[in-house]
Amino acid sequence: MRLPVLIIGGGLSGLAAAVRISRFGQRVLLVEQHTRPGGLNSWFFRNKTLFETGLHAITNFAEPENKHAPLNRLLRQLKVKRSEIEFCPQLGSKILFENCATLCFSNDFNLFETEINEKFPGAIDKVRNLLTFLQKFDAFAPAPFRSARAFLDEIFAEPLLTEMLLCPLMYYGSSNENDMDLAQFAIMFRAIFLEGMFRPQGSIKDFIDLLLRHIQENGGEIRTSCGVQNIAQHKGYATAVLENGEEIECDYILSTIGSQETEALLQRNNGARDDTPRLSFVENIFQLPYEALPAGAQGTTIIFFNRGEKFHYQRPQNSIDPRSGVICFPSGFKGVAKRELVEIRTTHLAATEKWERLAMVPEAYQQEKKRCSGLSCSTAESLIGDFAHAVTFRDMFTPLTIKRYTGKIDGAIYGHPNKIKDGNIGLSNIFLAGTDQGFLGIVGSMLSGVSIVNQHILPRL
Amino acid sequence: MTGEEIKDLILEIIEDIDDEADLAGLDPAGPLREQLDLDSMDFLDIVMELRKRHQLQIPEEDYPNLATLNSCVIYLEPLLKDK
Repeated sequence: MRLPVLIIGGGLSGLAAAVRISRFGQRVLLVEQHTRPGGLNSWFFRNKTLFETGLHAITNFAEPENKHAPLNRLLRQLKVKRSEIEFCPQLGSKILFENCATLCFSNDFNLFETEINEKFPGAIDKVRNLLTFLQKFDAFAPAPFRSARAFLDEIFAEPLLTEMLLCPLMYYGSSNENDMDLAQFAIMFRAIFLEGMFRPQGSIKDFIDLLLRHIQENGGEIRTSCGVQNIAQHKGYATAVLENGEEIECDYILSTIGSQETEALLQRNNGARDDTPRLSFVENIFQLPYEALPAGAQGTTIIFFNRGEKFHYQRPQNSIDPRSGVICFPSGFKGVAKRELVEIRTTHLAATEKWERLAMVPEAYQQEKKRCSGLSCSTAESLIGDFAHAVTFRDMFTPLTIKRYTGKIDGAIYGHPNKIKDGNIGLSNIFLAGTDQGFLGIVGSMLSGVSIVNQHILPRL
Repeated sequence: MTGEEIKDLILEIIEDIDDEADLAGLDPAGPLREQLDLDSMDFLDIVMELRKRHQLQIPEEDYPNLATLNSCVIYLEPLLKDK
């Protein structure tokens, strides 16, 4: 089989890349190793219910008239009409540092400014200086790592405010321990605080189905349960051998599966392993009747919390670190269709190697899952009120669950700490998009697929 | 294709990219990007649509020839004369 473009990985960056290429009538094949597309943002059925694997909220909310907002640019690039998606904006979220301070924020930045002004008198001018800086700062220009923490410490000289600003941005997209790249900070600050959050009506499955429909209508092809054995570059073309033995010849390959994961397919570097530590997480789902949502969930979308003396965003000593995390209420968005059963989701940092060791004894692994689920539940209860008694179903993904279904090394959802922003991995016809290119979140990863295709593939096809 | 037809083609493509684009007051001698508030990603769409509709391969170094409506006509007329 010979075609212009092969995309490896059916996560949101790969799907967006496939929509973009097929939109201009170019043939494209997307292969996904799992039985379902979506990558980190997929779904599964349990207890007669569709559960989303990863979706909390989509960042980068924008009104239609804001033409240059990333969300609207993305939809234009994909030729997806805004009317094809029903947007449900967040009710309101907060950063809660127990015994220290709480900062509420919403899709209206004025609220956040007022909150900062109240809780950190005197800091508001510094926040405005930060905004002026961010407006002029080109976050997309290639640049070496610059510490966002050091930068904020210098501006604010107020460690608590620095940590409170970093907490949501780190949890929603930092692959670095206790810090993030300033460019990444700039992108995430805009995505979460200046633009805000929403979710599409329905589930992530509806959103992915919409993308699949566009790919199919454009004449693109998608194969699930279709892993790749290896890929190779030749003069003027590239090849991929699928796990079923079929060989695909193409002009370009776009890999969205991660940089080291792509290197493994290329069989370069003599198979040398890159042991740079990666961050991983556990995700808990607690299903309960709508009426049983505790007081702390009312009118709330997401809580980013820290209960420790300091905020530690690092690989924990134990299997999970319940001292900080994220609590998400998927029912806490404006206009979301009412359901009898709703969810509370919690996220914490986890230690992959601990879970790997536990998995050698299946009972020990299950027991630890149960213990951590309970620990997470009681942590959330102490912040939002009791709900454990009403839980009708619970589930938990460990880093191993994520690794098994997505193929991500160490189950690290934000990938390798070092990003390859231009998607260039030193080959003339094989490029990288997705997590390890560096744009994170759903809008970010989709823009990653689109921009790498625009930069390296479309003009040359 | 005549010059007028080429102008219409470009305007049709732009409308297809951004259905809210204000085409009425467009100055044919002024840069399209600034007037229509297009970014480089949108601009690539014009090139790709020309390829899809008329099998035109426009090399990257020729993109500046598409800067204004008038320059589009000058650049595209010989390429589209038999279409």
